[in-house]
Amino acid sequence: MGALRQRLRRWFHERLPRADTLLLTQRNVYILPTRAGWMLAFTLLLLLVGSINYQLNLGYLLTFLLAGSAVVGMHICHGNLLGLSLHLNAPAPVHAGQAALLEIRLGNEQGKARYGIGVGVIDESSQGDTHLAWTDVPARSGARLQVATVARRRGLHPLPALTAVTLFPLGTFRVWTVWRPAAQLMVYPAPEAHPPPLPPGEPQPGFAGSASVQTTGEFDGVRAYRRGDPQKSIVWKKAAQTFAAGRDDLVSRDALSTQRQQLWLDHARCGAPDLEARLSRLTAWVLMAERLGLDYGLRLPGRELPPDQGASHRSRCLEAMALV
Amino acid sequence: MKLPLRLSVSALPRDTRDTLFLLAVIAWVALMQLPHIPWWCSALTAVVLVWRAVLTLRGRPLPGWRWRVGLLLVTLAATWWTHKTLLGRDAGVTLIVVLLALKTLELRARRDAFVVFFLGFFTLLTHFFYSQSLLTAAGILVALLGLLTAVVNAHMPVGHPPLRQTAGIAARMALLGAPIMLVAFMLFPRLSPLWGVPGDGMDGRSGLSGKMRVGQIAELVLDDRIALRVRFDGQIPPQRELYFRGPVLTDFDGIEWKPLRSAFPPHMELQADLAFAGDPIRYEVTMEPNHRPWVFVLEAASQAPELQGMRAFMTPDLQWFVRRPLTELVRYRAESHTRFRHGPLQPVVALQDQIALPPGFNPRTLAFAQELRREHGSGPQSAPALIEAALTHLRTGGYTYTLDPGVYGQHTADEFWFDRKEGFCEHIASSFVILMRALDIPARIVTGYQGGELNAIDGYWTVRQRDAHAWAEVWLQGQGWVRVDPTGAVAPSRTGSLERLLAPQGAIASALDTLNPTLAQQLRDVWEAVNNGWNQWVLNYTQGRQLDLLKSLGFDSPSWTDLAYVLIGVVVAVSLVGAAWTLWERQQHDPWLRTLARVRRRLARLGVEAGEHATPRELARVASTQLDAPQFTQQLTTGLLRLEALRYAPHSDDTLASLQTLFRQMPWPDRRAPS
Repeated sequence: MGALRQRLRRWFHERLPRADTLLLTQRNVYILPTRAGWMLAFTLLLLLVGSINYQLNLGYLLTFLLAGSAVVGMHICHGNLLGLSLHLNAPAPVHAGQAALLEIRLGNEQGKARYGIGVGVIDESSQGDTHLAWTDVPARSGARLQVATVARRRGLHPLPALTAVTLFPLGTFRVWTVWRPAAQLMVYPAPEAHPPPLPPGEPQPGFAGSASVQTTGEFDGVRAYRRGDPQKSIVWKKAAQTFAAGRDDLVSRDALSTQRQQLWLDHARCGAPDLEARLSRLTAWVLMAERLGLDYGLRLPGRELPPDQGASHRSRCLEAMALV
Repeated sequence: MKLPLRLSVSALPRDTRDTLFLLAVIAWVALMQLPHIPWWCSALTAVVLVWRAVLTLRGRPLPGWRWRVGLLLVTLAATWWTHKTLLGRDAGVTLIVVLLALKTLELRARRDAFVVFFLGFFTLLTHFFYSQSLLTAAGILVALLGLLTAVVNAHMPVGHPPLRQTAGIAARMALLGAPIMLVAFMLFPRLSPLWGVPGDGMDGRSGLSGKMRVGQIAELVLDDRIALRVRFDGQIPPQRELYFRGPVLTDFDGIEWKPLRSAFPPHMELQADLAFAGDPIRYEVTMEPNHRPWVFVLEAASQAPELQGMRAFMTPDLQWFVRRPLTELVRYRAESHTRFRHGPLQPVVALQDQIALPPGFNPRTLAFAQELRREHGSGPQSAPALIEAALTHLRTGGYTYTLDPGVYGQHTADEFWFDRKEGFCEHIASSFVILMRALDIPARIVTGYQGGELNAIDGYWTVRQRDAHAWAEVWLQGQGWVRVDPTGAVAPSRTGSLERLLAPQGAIASALDTLNPTLAQQLRDVWEAVNNGWNQWVLNYTQGRQLDLLKSLGFDSPSWTDLAYVLIGVVVAVSLVGAAWTLWERQQHDPWLRTLARVRRRLARLGVEAGEHATPRELARVASTQLDAPQFTQQLTTGLLRLEALRYAPHSDDTLASLQTLFRQMPWPDRRAPS
């Protein structure tokens, strides 16, 4: 039964078009009574039977007023979502196993405030109880909400379906929508928790023959700044530290060692048994090298990224590993 | 820890405030039941609610299940002790009030809150068992709005919305629900009860009980509640002739008078043998629930009163009945004659029942009867003289009418005739009938209402419980049964004029009286007219009225199935209107697109030709090249780019409404003259 329901749900979700902005209309807002709604219906039935049996005209009035309020409550509940627009900002990439934050903007162009709207990620594996983040949306205004989804596997993944729910005002009806955002989530491989030190540099092709310099992993070929050193070779990280200490001497990368030695992060030589473990180690190394301000190149099966550094280079490397 | 003396509601944490509000609403619901529940139930409810409030204020945990189960058992035991049952209406009301209070002790999950809400709604209904007055309705409306507000509170999970706001939402729901209520109320077919109505707890709630126990009541408390409202079609008959006939009491065991249970076979029992003279009096009676199957009519009705859905029938002693206790307000039309004759004209065997006296009671009255007989002779022909002698004795013997005659002993008639010489109508009528029977004149007691007063505001004749009365009927050969009101002989004012023995008034009422003697009466008349309107239009909205409504809608011979059709028709019509509205709304598309389309149409009128799917940026470009108004196109471009940013940029300070205003207020150039 549960499996069938899950399949039905998946089939239903896959019919929905993907879009980053969703305007809630009659077509994509659903409504069903909750358990409390059925309880209210039962109470109304009891009240009606009581009124009939004791011939209480005032009892009829009470029953019908309560029923009328419930019907109005149903409309208010439906209208609470109707006309709302949902917009998802493209999510930032994350590493596998981390939570991706999805920022959702709720827009309300209409002149009525909307209360108690919950937004959450529909967990495909669980049976229902989605964890929801709640907010109110004032009239002619907007609200922002953040929900998190855990990325389990690396790669470029479509986002899971999201839902917006409201029970306002009586909790007797549940009005909801299912929304499949078009944005995709880039999931980098998870970095290895305790990676070995960076591999030794490789001699540059132009310097072939010279003895390889053993490093201790800390790729430490730096010297004091000399006039004429290119800006690129200045170790800005260290500079920031010295500035903070009140001095202004700069440090440059040792042109000799950087020119002679190149740091290549190679999947075939990283010493891990399988692809995922290798990617995991390489990811850790990329982050480490970036932190140290080193140039690094990446060799992956069928792909090679020349040595460089900086945020965009890092993203390129991580993306390349995510998509292997 | 001391509780803060003055609680500022808005300063309380949200949860605390909501819980306290719910407790206050429940307290109000229980408070309205106060007159109908036993004292321990009120006390227990109050203690539990206060306890719960203190726990909330101090942030303490709720008591464990042992407490709740213990309190529940105590309640069950006390209910059993009070009502001798756990079923039935009064026991049910007691239980539900306590359960409502106890349930607040386990308000943890939202489901618990719902149980409290729904129990609360059900408790509201139970108020109507006891009263359906305008005041009750107002109190219930307040409670209903309070409960709805509490439900709304529970479904606004964010922030700290002020109570006024949530109450406003609840009130709006109720207000919008009111038309639905009205339509359903008018059209929902009134069915007869689905099963028998338990008749428990009805004793002593009516001014008349169907039995009479003389001398047990030391003091008669006058009850101002209204029993009947009568509207006469023509002239109102003189007040002294307004005898509304109720139970007739024939059997006497020395202590208690009861209706006749004849030992004779049916064909020998007394017959009504009713004959009328003169024109009938036509009138309409609205009768408050008396929880008895009695239908009060003016003596004597020539036709069965028309009760909605029930056939009234008459006993041989002229009392009208229906087949079930009347627990609701009923209205009926009747026709009566004040000049009539009934009962056999010649002696019949069944009259034996009407002269029976239990042995061993009232010896002095029996001796008095012997004395009267010696004086006026015996035999049927001397009966009128004997009756007149007895009445003269009442008039001249120093007898007085009083509301507190004290407790009588075993020989009630003896005490009345010879010792105390005071009493109210029960004593007088009972003693008179005993004397008549001692004289071998068939006699019986009739109970009912006598008199009443006119409400000048709405022209209804009002009969109250304090107008309950007992009089006598004697049988005379050749005349049948004749009404004799011995109370009239003792206190002529008791029947026939507005003057009454009034029960002592409260301080406010007497102060009002000294200020302006007629003001109090006027105020009461207005209040009762309002109440009567309520009764006529709300409480007495019966199937008859529903069918009248259908008739006025054009149904020839409406039935309750027609009612159902009309109700379904209304629902279908409303649904169609709703569906049409939805279709219309769907064509309204996205408000953003609508705004863009409006700008495009306006530009098209100026001669700018842009494709139907032009983006804001594209539209701005086309307009800038085709229009020769650089200042305007500059503004337009800014506006359109902001419109674009509103939709696509991650952050935008604009709202659609502000941009719509911006576009409206732009200096649009005049329509380009055709070149």
